[in-house]
Amino acid sequence: MPPLEMSNPAPDGTPQQSRLAELLSRSALGDRAAFADVYAATRAKLFAVSLRIVRDRAIAEEVLQDSFVSIWTHAGDYARAKSAPTTWMTAIVRNRSLDVLRRPREEADVDEALTANLVDESAAPAREVEARREAHSLAACLGELEAGERQSIALAFYHGLSHSELAGHLRKPLGTVKTHIRRGLAKLRDCLERSGSFVAGEG
Amino acid sequence: MRLSDKALHLLAAEYVVGTLRGPARRRFASMARADRRVEAILRRWEGELTPLAERVMPVEPPVRVWREIEKRVLDSGASRPRDRPLVPLGGTSGLSPGVWRALAMLSAGFASVLAVAFLWFAPQRESDPAFVAVLTASDAVPRMVVAMHGGNELRVRMVKPWTGVEGKSLELWAVPKNGAPRSLGLIENDRDSRIRLASADARITGANAFAVSLEPRGGSATGQPTGPVLCSGVIAPYQGPRRAA
Repeated sequence: MPPLEMSNPAPDGTPQQSRLAELLSRSALGDRAAFADVYAATRAKLFAVSLRIVRDRAIAEEVLQDSFVSIWTHAGDYARAKSAPTTWMTAIVRNRSLDVLRRPREEADVDEALTANLVDESAAPAREVEARREAHSLAACLGELEAGERQSIALAFYHGLSHSELAGHLRKPLGTVKTHIRRGLAKLRDCLERSGSFVAGEG
Repeated sequence: MRLSDKALHLLAAEYVVGTLRGPARRRFASMARADRRVEAILRRWEGELTPLAERVMPVEPPVRVWREIEKRVLDSGASRPRDRPLVPLGGTSGLSPGVWRALAMLSAGFASVLAVAFLWFAPQRESDPAFVAVLTASDAVPRMVVAMHGGNELRVRMVKPWTGVEGKSLELWAVPKNGAPRSLGLIENDRDSRIRLASADARITGANAFAVSLEPRGGSATGQPTGPVLCSGVIAPYQGPRRAA
């Protein structure tokens, strides 16, 4: 089976995503071959996602193992998540990565190019997809944030930095960093709501 | 108490971004499992932000990872991973609003109460509980702690008994993600109780909260709670005494 391209934050309904969704539902019924296909299609992206957060290959391997055991066990829950299969799986891997993070205090070693902009252009050949998501409001909303806010959010998001690690890395007081993140996220929420992609209240 | 949408959005966003850590992170995850409103907000943030994380250059993991997964999936009999469930799995539909809404409202005091609960259990710990739940009344006061031991025994520690319940019975319920509460039996008001379960007891399977209702002496005759819910609490996996980092 050809590896599925997972770099597209594909909207639900693309062929790749529907295929993954189907494989997941077959996994939920105990189909190990389908589960193997899910793994084959997503392992490299998901390993990279974890690696970026935990920054240790051995730990990332464990995270990937734990995540896929969980994906197998909970494949039946996927349908209710109402999100794209890759989003559902990425969230599992991210959460597991953050759960195991107990990083010794150290100077954070992060990828400045990536975090300068929340969107990682080097790894995003998906411009048309992005365009199809109506010049998607998220990008526009991120653009409205102040640089400091965007940078703090990006560092935390991509590299799993905690508030205090961020403060160390950015050489800013802890309170300032927390404020940047909260204010940035509040702005993001307002902007997404205004743009209609994010309706307040019950979903 | 009910958190405002604004507060929930901030928590959900920090959860997805990853700056919500430790007990606060676990607490929010429990809330999302128990409350559809919270879950919906979390899903929206995930839907927006998580796809950005997929934009990384792929890194091929070693083959041993898959071998290990296969082994664990086979060992688990496909159904019971020994790991704690990861966070935003599956919806939590089916909790009927009014009565069970309280389950989601364990808030700030939750972590410290859990810590206290762990201390209580520590001295008699021949084996760690698999999970615990702190049951609180609507005023958020902890009333009892329920812990699962050895896979087949629930220990109910009464923290604060009720007054004025003479002639009535307290009945403990397992509240599943979907469907009706399941009776686990009666518990004592004036002392701790132990409830024996079958191994892999179906009543516990899929439950994500406990609740206690006030019933006529001898328990509900209908098989469903008939009286007021006195206290309730979300089930949290027992994390073990935190080892020094």
